[in-house]
Amino acid sequence: MLRSDFAPETDRNAMAQLASGGGVVVELPGDADWRAVGEQIRSAVQVDIRFASFKDGRGFTLATQLRTRLHYQGRLRATGDLIPDQARYLKRVGFDAITPDRSDLAADWAKAEQRFSVVYQPASDAIATITELRNREGDDLERLNARYRQSDALEILRDAIETTWRGRIALLSSFGTEAAVSLHLISRIDPATPVFFLDTGRHFAQTEQYLRTLTERLNLTNLRVLKPDAAEAREEDGDGYLWQRDADACCALRKVRPLARALDGFDALVTGRKRFHGGARTELPVVERVADGLRVNPLANWSAEQIQAYFQTHDLPRHPLADMGYSSIGCWTCTAPAYGGGGLRAGRWPGQDKTECGIHAPAQGAAVRPERK
Amino acid sequence: MKAITANRLTDGRVIYRTAQGQWSTRFQDAQPLDDYAAETVLAQAGRESGIAVGPYLIELGEHAPAGQKWRREGIRIDGPTSGTIRLIEPANHDRAA
Amino acid sequence: MYRYDEYDATLVRERIGEFRDQIERRLDGRLSEDEFKPLRLMNGVYLQLHAYMLRVAIPYGTLNSAQVRTLARIARHYDRGYGHFTTRTNIQFNWPALTDVPAILEELAAVEMHAIQTSGNCIRNTTADPYSGAAADEIEDGRPWAEIIRQWSSLHPEFTFLPRKFKIAVNGAAEDRAGLRVHDIGLQIVRDALGQTGFEVWVGGGQGRTPRLAVKTRDFLEPRDLLSYLTAVLRVYNQHGRRDNMYKARIKILVEALGAEAFIAEVEEEFEAIRDSELRLPDAEIARIRSFFGTPSIHNPAPLPEAGEPGFRHWLKRNRRAHRVDGLSSIVISLKPIGGTPGDATDEQLDIIADLTARYGLDEIRVTPEQNLLLPHVHNEDLHPLWLALKSAGLATPNAGLATDIVSCPGMDYCSLATARSIPIAQAIAKRLEVAGLSEAAGDVTIKVDGCINACGHHHVANIGVLGLDKRGEEYYQITLGGAFGKDAAIGGIVGKGLAGDDVPDAIARILETYLQLRRGSETFIDTLRRTGADAFKEAIYVAQ
Repeated sequence: MLRSDFAPETDRNAMAQLASGGGVVVELPGDADWRAVGEQIRSAVQVDIRFASFKDGRGFTLATQLRTRLHYQGRLRATGDLIPDQARYLKRVGFDAITPDRSDLAADWAKAEQRFSVVYQPASDAIATITELRNREGDDLERLNARYRQSDALEILRDAIETTWRGRIALLSSFGTEAAVSLHLISRIDPATPVFFLDTGRHFAQTEQYLRTLTERLNLTNLRVLKPDAAEAREEDGDGYLWQRDADACCALRKVRPLARALDGFDALVTGRKRFHGGARTELPVVERVADGLRVNPLANWSAEQIQAYFQTHDLPRHPLADMGYSSIGCWTCTAPAYGGGGLRAGRWPGQDKTECGIHAPAQGAAVRPERK
Repeated sequence: MKAITANRLTDGRVIYRTAQGQWSTRFQDAQPLDDYAAETVLAQAGRESGIAVGPYLIELGEHAPAGQKWRREGIRIDGPTSGTIRLIEPANHDRAA
Repeated sequence: MYRYDEYDATLVRERIGEFRDQIERRLDGRLSEDEFKPLRLMNGVYLQLHAYMLRVAIPYGTLNSAQVRTLARIARHYDRGYGHFTTRTNIQFNWPALTDVPAILEELAAVEMHAIQTSGNCIRNTTADPYSGAAADEIEDGRPWAEIIRQWSSLHPEFTFLPRKFKIAVNGAAEDRAGLRVHDIGLQIVRDALGQTGFEVWVGGGQGRTPRLAVKTRDFLEPRDLLSYLTAVLRVYNQHGRRDNMYKARIKILVEALGAEAFIAEVEEEFEAIRDSELRLPDAEIARIRSFFGTPSIHNPAPLPEAGEPGFRHWLKRNRRAHRVDGLSSIVISLKPIGGTPGDATDEQLDIIADLTARYGLDEIRVTPEQNLLLPHVHNEDLHPLWLALKSAGLATPNAGLATDIVSCPGMDYCSLATARSIPIAQAIAKRLEVAGLSEAAGDVTIKVDGCINACGHHHVANIGVLGLDKRGEEYYQITLGGAFGKDAAIGGIVGKGLAGDDVPDAIARILETYLQLRRGSETFIDTLRRTGADAFKEAIYVAQ
């Protein structure tokens, strides 16, 4: 079996050159000293490294040294007693092809090669390491946030929608008391921007009415209503009282998972969250990484007064419940008016510790900084 | 006499080769074999790598393993001699062999 | 402590998928046992005497309460209600079914743990001083570096099929509590003349059949060059380490065969070639990893309790260690009840330990190379309630560092490599010494028991070592004297012919009695032995024979 899918370019070139008589194939045992073979491989178009046993890992270092110290750029092939579980290691140290002695396991080889999506170590395959990704992304986010600090919400959204995440960004709206602001902003940029609404099946009738009013008024043309999976809903919430038994599980069923499914193909999601909402939102950055991707929060630093002013300036319709004491609106099952103290979101999941539904859950580890220093 | 033992592939438990060509977790079920038969049956057992891992011969005495490895094989039958420590009260900590 | 980000979690998840697939292929015959064995070992799965054994990695010995609770649950659901803490600060379960291992790994992954490279001929779990972040003599916390090494060494494309296993330890304090000189690579954090920290590097130590102390290969290594240097050492080893004889395959044999000077020259040549590569650690990454570790600070430090039951005061004296922060103490939880199995803990005990870790330990607990647990950060005012809770769980044996704090490998009661039993010998020694009051009288002394020459129980570096061997079907035990683990590491010397198991406890008792006769002032056992030489002790061992 000849696996030639690792590097078809090298493969074709080597084959063509061999066919025209220009070059040689050199076979080296896995225990060859790389320092002693420079002369031998100088005119080679293909070097075969033969593994006497899959347990003898010398060939991995030999391949690395041919690639990095001798700068050998021709075709490199591993042969001998190799097992599929080594596919990725072989590829990473610079092999283009593998011809194992045992030839009946092509499917296992193919599977093993795709097994891992991340790596810690730099190697001859030059794919970005986890360390690079971490720091690259960290830098990117930091740069973006620095840039956006100089911009107002409209400018941030314009950049996000038209440039930075063009075609891969959507707005998530609750169609709650403040939602008109971000909806209006995106309608000024591109009314065809996808707008997600999580239809939990538990919304106030007034919210659904408000959704129709705003969509029409702002001429939004790409509203996507996300519903819970019907089979899951039957299974997990047959009697419709899951919200009473386990609010987290209810949010997972009706919000978290439908959103996760909808996010396929999107890199970033715009939200209307603001720092003055308090709780976990007091340190909200404009761009942040959460568990399922990026969030863009163009209104992060807006005050309650700015929101009111924006409503007035643009003569936006109010949510019908806003005047009845509801400052933050979710499902009717878990929302109460927020009277007096306790913050704007005090009416959400009243009487519970719960303050967020989980759709903006932090990236694992990212939220957990040194607990005690 | 000899017998054949191994560990079971799925859970690692100690097993013995029976006269019926099966494997049993009970030492009493082990088939006693003379030297010649032992080698033949061991070769057969070695081909059953989907059931038994690393089959090998042990020496048999009257009702227990014999030879140089008698203690090791005895521990494989009876379990650790050190006692396990499923106890909470310090007073019960006295459980040496 | 360190928390996984999505990359770390992804890698662990994908590794479980790989192992699940490997088990499947073994069961349906696509993998032979010969092929499967190294693969399962690389995921911590041994086949021992009675069953499979799963060794779970505890990176640099650090756990939080959720992780301890998960270990308890695994012991209860998949094992026989107990686990065994090892000298390399991991935990092993003695009875899991192979087919249950993927489910166990899922449970572990949920609390950011795994069994990656806890065995096999690859880079093993990196250990560190268990007192990191708590020790008064700390130069710098070694754990961030151990974590950096954990990540770099996980599924390394070049170094997963090495000649033999490879163990790295990091020590960040003045005293060496990680055993650097008996590791393949030991990294000692030091300060240069300008106050910058870096690594003093030791290579080629190890125990086993051919115990060797490491040689110093570098006085100072820039921290950002750590991975380049480790790569250089591993590369030289992977190319030139012996593969024809597994007993001569460790790097210590290569260092000895080449000579330290030639070995260092090879490493330096490689190091220079790769120093300025992607292996150089970005400052941001070092800072990121460091940010997870630290020393707690407290308000209103309470003094050490003066009063209390005699048992409490005695336990404080024996099992408490001074903390670098005023008002905090480090507490050894002894897993050495007299007559118990060294290093074992039951599921109930683990659950209690998890609760106490959360309640009194700032949610952090360590495993020590002595097979004990350590709560590094305990408020002084919590010491008494902590003691009461530990006492009722059988976890307050006041013997940390004493003769009954015996280290022991599992030996022939569990291990398929063992030549003799070790746990029953350790149990008998502890009981003999306790009954005679010798444990308390003899003060600090280390006793370590091994059931074969592989020396997982570290008998070579014990003040008093016991090595179990087999002579024509009978167990016998060799005594070694004078070994030491830390800065003044030494390999113990064999005193003479081996003893029957039954004679070992009395022999050890006579060794300690001899010390009590010979000691001057506040000399410890090892001080006296070094001053007087071993003759008097040898005589005492064989006096009755």
